[in-house]
Amino acid sequence: MIGIDGHVHPEVETVNPYRPHRARITSIVDLTDNEKLFELRLIDEESRAEFSHSAGQFVEVSIFGVGEAPISISSAPSKQGFIELCVRRAGDVTGALHDMRCGDIIGIRGPFGRGFPFEQMKGSDVLLVAGGLGIAPLKSLINHIHDERHAFGNVTILYGSRTPSEILFRRQFEMWQHRDDFDMVLTVDQADETWTGEVGLVTKLFDRIDVDPSNTYGAICGPPVMYKYVIAEMRKKSIDADRIYVSFERRMKCGVGKCGHCGVGHQYACVDGPVFNYWEAMNLQEAI
Amino acid sequence: MFFRMIDKDRLPDLVRGLAAEFEVVGPVAKGDSFVYAELEGPGDLRLDFDSTLLPPKEWFMPPRERIMRFATADNEVVDCEVDAPPRVLFGVHPCDVNGLQLMDNVFLGDRPDPYYKARRENTLIVGVNCQPSDTCFCNAWGTDETHWGFDIFLSDLGPDYFVSVRSVKGAELIDRHVESREITHQDTRRFQEVTARFKASFPEPLDTSQLPLLLDAKFDSPVWDELGERCLSCGACSMVCPTCYCFDVKDVLDPDHAGGERVRVWDSCMFRDFAAVAHGANFRESRSSRVKYRYYHKQWGYLSKFERVLCVGCGRCTRACLAGINPPEVIAALQGAMSREEVAAE
Ligand SMILES: Cc1cc2nc3c(=O)[nH]c(=O)nc-3n(C[C@H](O)[C@H](O)[C@H](O)COP(=O)(O)OP(=O)(O)OC[C@H]3O[C@@H](n4cnc5c(N)ncnc54)[C@H](O)[C@@H]3O)c2cc1C
Repeated sequence: MIGIDGHVHPEVETVNPYRPHRARITSIVDLTDNEKLFELRLIDEESRAEFSHSAGQFVEVSIFGVGEAPISISSAPSKQGFIELCVRRAGDVTGALHDMRCGDIIGIRGPFGRGFPFEQMKGSDVLLVAGGLGIAPLKSLINHIHDERHAFGNVTILYGSRTPSEILFRRQFEMWQHRDDFDMVLTVDQADETWTGEVGLVTKLFDRIDVDPSNTYGAICGPPVMYKYVIAEMRKKSIDADRIYVSFERRMKCGVGKCGHCGVGHQYACVDGPVFNYWEAMNLQEAI
Repeated sequence: MFFRMIDKDRLPDLVRGLAAEFEVVGPVAKGDSFVYAELEGPGDLRLDFDSTLLPPKEWFMPPRERIMRFATADNEVVDCEVDAPPRVLFGVHPCDVNGLQLMDNVFLGDRPDPYYKARRENTLIVGVNCQPSDTCFCNAWGTDETHWGFDIFLSDLGPDYFVSVRSVKGAELIDRHVESREITHQDTRRFQEVTARFKASFPEPLDTSQLPLLLDAKFDSPVWDELGERCLSCGACSMVCPTCYCFDVKDVLDPDHAGGERVRVWDSCMFRDFAAVAHGANFRESRSSRVKYRYYHKQWGYLSKFERVLCVGCGRCTRACLAGINPPEVIAALQGAMSREEVAAE
């Protein structure tokens, strides 16, 4: 056959993007009743050396006999040799993963997608807003900023959960509330007897923060309903549309722009996203 | 590109010659319709076919294909072999040659799909010209002709074929298997006349002006609600489409659960769960949103990446749709449609 350029293409050994690489589960931490943090190590030395990601990218977790699921990488790129995934039990694949033990082997494909523009954000203030499991991809960004803290201005993290027991990384974040290099605010929809912090939607926290609109990047990830309201708050603080970054969850199978499931407007979340800046996203039909 | 003339009664020599080296697949009659099937002999080949039920994509990406075998213990890949026998697709209309090129952009571009790629590399394409049927609208997109993406292209001039040869392999096979002669100035003239008659036999092309812009500007148009009411979500339009490439992936375990295979199957954005995610959210729950998405992706999403629309005007979806939904009508409706504000104002 001849290519669209009219030339005969020599046969080349193609890398198979659907072939998972084996990874061993090196640690499992229970975060809540439904979420666990998995630490993985790619078994093959070469794939391990090649693996490098940016905050906001995801992998396909592959468990043969069950299937695959896209999961954000929670660890920072600087944590070399290991990959952390924060996973909620939601169905077949995530359920099978939750039933596994340290030392078990799963498959990993990726990293895929476009992450947050880390280099571009340097030198600016960053306002991160997470709802529920949306903290998973943002955790990678938070960890990466933490590694290079001196390169950033003020870093504010607003994180909302339904209940205190559903707060992910609760112990770490509660400690972070006392740090002066991060402005960390947690809020819950419904308090319980253990809770002394904020109560209410994450948008409520905007009343108490100061934002320098000329020099702030926003980053948002959460359930689909959240985006509209958080973006509105950021816009009220006069952050430019193209300095607000959102990460979208869509159904995905291949991760490489072929299976078609993750279409959002005229883009694919797996290759054009999952992180989009709001200026792009507002031009994507049905995105927000 | 260079050209040869082949007498019509010599064509079976070419088919027989190819059959010695390749699996030869071509349009054959099936009931009142035509399908692509392996030829038993040159006599099966029906180059007078109007269209085939399924487009040629099934020979590059089968409706169901194994992409790997696995062992469940330790999550191991056993093999990722591709079944890609040397094959000739004999008798492909220009619309479908274009359709394959549009598939190529997805499967041979960034991060190529090894299964599609292996079959594409092992398959020769022999194109053939056609006559427009009442469901064809390829002239709207310029896909009524093709200049790439085939090895040999046969244009029927009556007693003989005007043959365009694109690839080295195509040239070699013609030399080897069939008596042909050089074209003359007169042959070229005859070819131009046939082409002119072909072009003149189409009705007015569809008005596709500013389509991407209209799709955005009239995204909320009630036109889509009406189409959603009619659509049955059966996905037939996607299955018969030469450019619909979406797929699903499933694991099928062996009875002893020690191993199994990962398969991919054709999927359709018309199906209800196509964009459903965990925790109950479904980004395209309503039928109208799914019909709209199909058009939106074909006429705008794909275009934004590859500068061509993802439709070749073959008319298969028009014939397959039980609800009578078809691109020419949808596009015409959209051109004339009122936006939601206009409807409200009336
Ligand atoms: C870019 C990206 C990043 C992500 N990051 C994370 C992360 O860091 N952590 C995390 O926990 N999750 C993350 N997710 C979500 C995660 O991918 C899903 O929860 C996961 O795919 C569920 O897969 P599963 O096999 O466990 O569930 P499935 O068995 O596939 O389904 C779970 C539920 O989804 C619904 N569902 C599934 N299929 C269908 C269908 N065909 N029709 C209707 N409903 C259906 C059902 O209600 C079902 O109970 C991310 C998703 C994306 C796209």
